[in-house]
Amino acid sequence: MVSFLLRRIAIGLLTLLLITFVIFGLIRNMPGTPLTVDSAESDPSKSISPEDLKRLEKTYGLDKPWPQAYLVWVGNLCQLDLGRSFTHKQPVGNLIRERVGPTLLLTVTSLILAYLLSIPLGLWATVRGGTTGERSVSTALYMFYSLPSFVAALFLQILIAVRLGWLPLFGMKSDNYAQLSALGQTWDIFLHALMPIFCFTYGGLAYYTRFIKSNMEEVIRQDYIRTARAKGVAPYRIVVHHAFRNTLIPLVTMIGLTLPSLLSGAVILEQVFSWPGMGTLFFESIGRRDYPTIMGLTLIFSSLTLLGQLLADVLYAVVDPRVTYS
Amino acid sequence: MTTDASSSPDHSPAEPLVSRGFWQETWLRFRRRRLAMSALYFVCFLGLVALFSPCIAGTKPVVCQYKGNLYFPALGYWNRAWENPIFRKDRFRNRYPKNLAAKDPDSWAVWPLVYQDPYRRVRDDEWDGQPGNPTGADGRPNRHNWFGTDQSGVDVFAQMVHGTRIALLVGFVSMGIAAAIGVVVGALAGFLGGWVDVLLSRLIELVMCIPSLVLILSLIAIIEEVTIWHLMAVIGVTSWTGIARLTRAEFLKLKRMEFVTAAQALGASKFRIMFRHILRNALAPILVPITFGIAAAILVESGLSFLGFGAPPPNPSWGTLLNSGRVMIQQTWWLILFPGLAIFLTVLAYNLIGEGLQEATDPRLRKAEK
Repeated sequence: MVSFLLRRIAIGLLTLLLITFVIFGLIRNMPGTPLTVDSAESDPSKSISPEDLKRLEKTYGLDKPWPQAYLVWVGNLCQLDLGRSFTHKQPVGNLIRERVGPTLLLTVTSLILAYLLSIPLGLWATVRGGTTGERSVSTALYMFYSLPSFVAALFLQILIAVRLGWLPLFGMKSDNYAQLSALGQTWDIFLHALMPIFCFTYGGLAYYTRFIKSNMEEVIRQDYIRTARAKGVAPYRIVVHHAFRNTLIPLVTMIGLTLPSLLSGAVILEQVFSWPGMGTLFFESIGRRDYPTIMGLTLIFSSLTLLGQLLADVLYAVVDPRVTYS
Repeated sequence: MTTDASSSPDHSPAEPLVSRGFWQETWLRFRRRRLAMSALYFVCFLGLVALFSPCIAGTKPVVCQYKGNLYFPALGYWNRAWENPIFRKDRFRNRYPKNLAAKDPDSWAVWPLVYQDPYRRVRDDEWDGQPGNPTGADGRPNRHNWFGTDQSGVDVFAQMVHGTRIALLVGFVSMGIAAAIGVVVGALAGFLGGWVDVLLSRLIELVMCIPSLVLILSLIAIIEEVTIWHLMAVIGVTSWTGIARLTRAEFLKLKRMEFVTAAQALGASKFRIMFRHILRNALAPILVPITFGIAAAILVESGLSFLGFGAPPPNPSWGTLLNSGRVMIQQTWWLILFPGLAIFLTVLAYNLIGEGLQEATDPRLRKAEK
């Protein structure tokens, strides 16, 4: 197990290097630099003189060709230095630390919710397969699965925030957040987070439920289920103890595979809800050509993706005693 | 697949007493699924709307007689160059109804069903009895603008009808690119094996590990002037990994079959074996992720246009409409409801077709049926 882990981590690090290399090359070849994009947008007359531009480029390390700059970036990374953001004028590390909380609040909550709700729902759908109730729930879930989350987000915003006025339209905190008590602050964030969390959750919920149901239907036809039924095991125990345990394996590996799509979803959904997370930050940084921030975020996104895959492999061995990595 | 003997190239179609071919069998099974069939009808309907979009909504006549000749100005919506230059020379300035009558009293024209333009605001005196389009929050759905108008007064219905063209094109072109890359990479990796397989499998894994939106946004930011074709290329280039993995697995499985050995014994080249013998048999399972991929591509394109990363306006993409609706979400609900529903229904239809295909071609489910 340990040697497997070490090998996987080594491969992961190599992959990470390759990914960051590709993205670094791409963003350095975008038209415009952080210095020119910023000044041209604010005021064309304020454009920097060529001499100043040269000087600034030198201080920011933009004068070097990008493969060389990439080596400098990796070198700094080894000393845990992600560089300074051009637009926010502060270290990228601090910037990301500020933004990682809100993003995790949405993604982790929705991941947990999706799993917690989909398991009972999937089991219920298997047991009640073919009844009107099950059919309508399954159809509704299928519709949800095809509904793009940003479209759902916009519909919800119109219905709940604009028409009914029950929930705030966007943002994470109200304007009077600072004056609220600790309890009031939590409640405020909770109200703001309801719609985004719903939009993050429903797609995964629908997908997992369908996944569990189709897997369960395969398992329930097996001989050992018939044996269990023949010897008089209670139906509830058959479903949970005999059948569900065997669908757990593919379900667990799903966690790792859904993580990247969850993060991609964060970029769009956070933008819709003006949520101050990493997705919004990434979006702003691309527009402003803020190289260090883009690279820092790419690093975080890719590491989380790779970690998710590793986690899936490890959990695979945990839930299935037949799988060993030695 | 097992039933492929009847679809081999040297089988004569007139031969009697032949069992149904694989595709015929699949089609029969697909047709039994009512939802999948209605989804297929819906996509066909969208195709018709896309094909005839200039005849449904537009400000240019479908057919007109002008100075003794027949012209088809509506073709200009497909391609600028297909609109006869005579109308530019005669200074029509896209105002056909009044100009046709004024410059040639004998002229006649067949008009689109709805006199609205997807690229510009229709003004007050263009068409008898039709007032100019309202702008901003006044543009709610009415008799002349069925789905309302956007901030600058361009009709939403016309934009959506013409946007159908983009949505369908995005799905097919970007998945065409993705399928071409995925099938070639997967075929090479699966058939050749050895170091080619190791190298290509690593490549697939690498691309899979890059968060797709990060890659797509970085690729798009490189392009100076984004057009819809750029978007399709970027989506295609980033979404081939699933297809490649599946193709590789199918090739690994199929290359050990007898018919491959037979082809080798006959002296067929590697290329011929890969793309003529094996690919034909692997096509059905590969078709399933391609169908789902079309849905995903439409979703990504509308998402990118929605984020403002798509082709700049005037570009009647459904996502662009959503984006313009988001700016004034408090007032302009119609800019979100109609395009949002269109995206949803299209994605749903492709997913249903993919599902139907999957169940029609999966041999495991076929056994359960009997």
